[in-house]
Amino acid sequence: MAARTPRPLLLLRHAALWVVILPRDPHLFNFVDVWYLIPFPRYLVNSIVVSAIAVAGNVVLNALAGYALTRQFPGRRAVLALFLSCMLIPFQATIIPAYLITAKMGLLNTFFGLAFPLLSTIVCIFVFKAAFEAVPRSLIDAARIDGLPEWRIILRVLLPLSKPAIATNVILSFIWSWNNFLWPLLITASPASCRTWKTRPARCTRSRCWCSPRRSSCS
Amino acid sequence: MGAGFWGQRRNRQLVMIACFLLPSLAIFFLYRILPLGWNVLLSFQFWSPLKPAEWAGFEHYVEMWSYDDVFWVALKNTLIFIAASPIAIAVSLGIALLVNSDLKGASVYRTIVFLSYPLMTVAVGIIWRWMYDERGGIINYALRASGLVDRPVGFLQDFDWALPSVIFAGIWQVVGFYMIILLTGLQSIPTNLYEAARIDGAPAHARFFRITLPMLRPSIFLCVVVGILNSFTSFDLVYVMTNGGPGHATELLITHIYKSAFEQRKFDYAAALTVVQFVLLLLLTFAANKAAGGNAGAVERD
Repeated sequence: MAARTPRPLLLLRHAALWVVILPRDPHLFNFVDVWYLIPFPRYLVNSIVVSAIAVAGNVVLNALAGYALTRQFPGRRAVLALFLSCMLIPFQATIIPAYLITAKMGLLNTFFGLAFPLLSTIVCIFVFKAAFEAVPRSLIDAARIDGLPEWRIILRVLLPLSKPAIATNVILSFIWSWNNFLWPLLITASPASCRTWKTRPARCTRSRCWCSPRRSSCS
Repeated sequence: MGAGFWGQRRNRQLVMIACFLLPSLAIFFLYRILPLGWNVLLSFQFWSPLKPAEWAGFEHYVEMWSYDDVFWVALKNTLIFIAASPIAIAVSLGIALLVNSDLKGASVYRTIVFLSYPLMTVAVGIIWRWMYDERGGIINYALRASGLVDRPVGFLQDFDWALPSVIFAGIWQVVGFYMIILLTGLQSIPTNLYEAARIDGAPAHARFFRITLPMLRPSIFLCVVVGILNSFTSFDLVYVMTNGGPGHATELLITHIYKSAFEQRKFDYAAALTVVQFVLLLLLTFAANKAAGGNAGAVERD
């Protein structure tokens, strides 16, 4: 058919058809259907809980480690080198033993097992370290002279002054845990009790089950 | 112990620092260092969840080398995947140059291009699957509407088209990220260099090749490393779009590892595959570092 009609004409004709891209009588029922076809609220809550654990763990643990790295102590260089070399190891290269370790700890199909590897990230430790180092020394000394114990210096002086670092960490760790796919796929191999929102649609499209409400099992 | 040890301020601080570091170190030990060692150990053993381990020597590596055809396909695909990243870098360099110029609304374009990066890879994969679809896909529709093809192309079903299609989707997603990296690199180039070149009468292409590219070298190196790593992290995309099919046309090493371990339950063999991919990745990264003049150390120095 393309051979018979002159090409420019054909293009023109189809240019009009490009309007087809715009949805005809758009409706919102797909958004309703999702709630019936898959246990959507459940997955959403799972995702939110796992991300919340990961974000909370990240902020607390990274702030602690970042603070520790601003102090002088024997073996500091070794710890720094260790962190930097850990950055070289992509998470995907560790999935098999990581799965076995998680299974050994009995954390398969649990929220905590899902969030565990994400609880601390090296990049964010260095973000915190840099933020803490940028806090003027005199402020810390003043607080110390006023007799504040160490943990209160962290809470009342350092953390309020490094809000940008906290925000960075929250955003990054949330994106990483929310977009995580491979790990939930491995860890939640069994019933859908604890599968994050993300892994579901992918599995479903694989067997094309999200158009047919009857097929409830997807894997 | 007693008050003697605890009484000293220095010791107290050391204990505190140790307590602060311990949780993070424990996580990295458990999920980075231990798995790496275990991977290597596992790759030299016959092991499955219900069997005691047995020493296997290089058995798995021999099997991989001479009997596993899928491994070679996956290796080739992984290398192609990595080799495609220069295209993505070139495209993003072009975009970065564009949005860096005083184009009207450059920051809007910048945001739009970057938006593809924080999207979930799974969602990106699903959307691209729809676009590539043989019957309802928009790409086939556009191709047929413009008379370029007579029959719809089954992009993800065709043995020759599947890998380029997946790579294209991968490039689309990563371009935003590369663009941001290159843009920060571009903005850190001092403008007086350009002024000096202009006064000397250097033409635009000379300014690009003599100033922009050399000054961008660290950023480009970073992009290359990310591209190498992408062969690992593109599992999501391949798994969602083709799951390695048709046949093994889009099988990457990481999907082969996943299938061997978690579908065929050959954990030991998959561990050997992981070791191979990790070594490959390290070698490529070091090669890229050498090619960049070894200034990746600058990243680590601070």
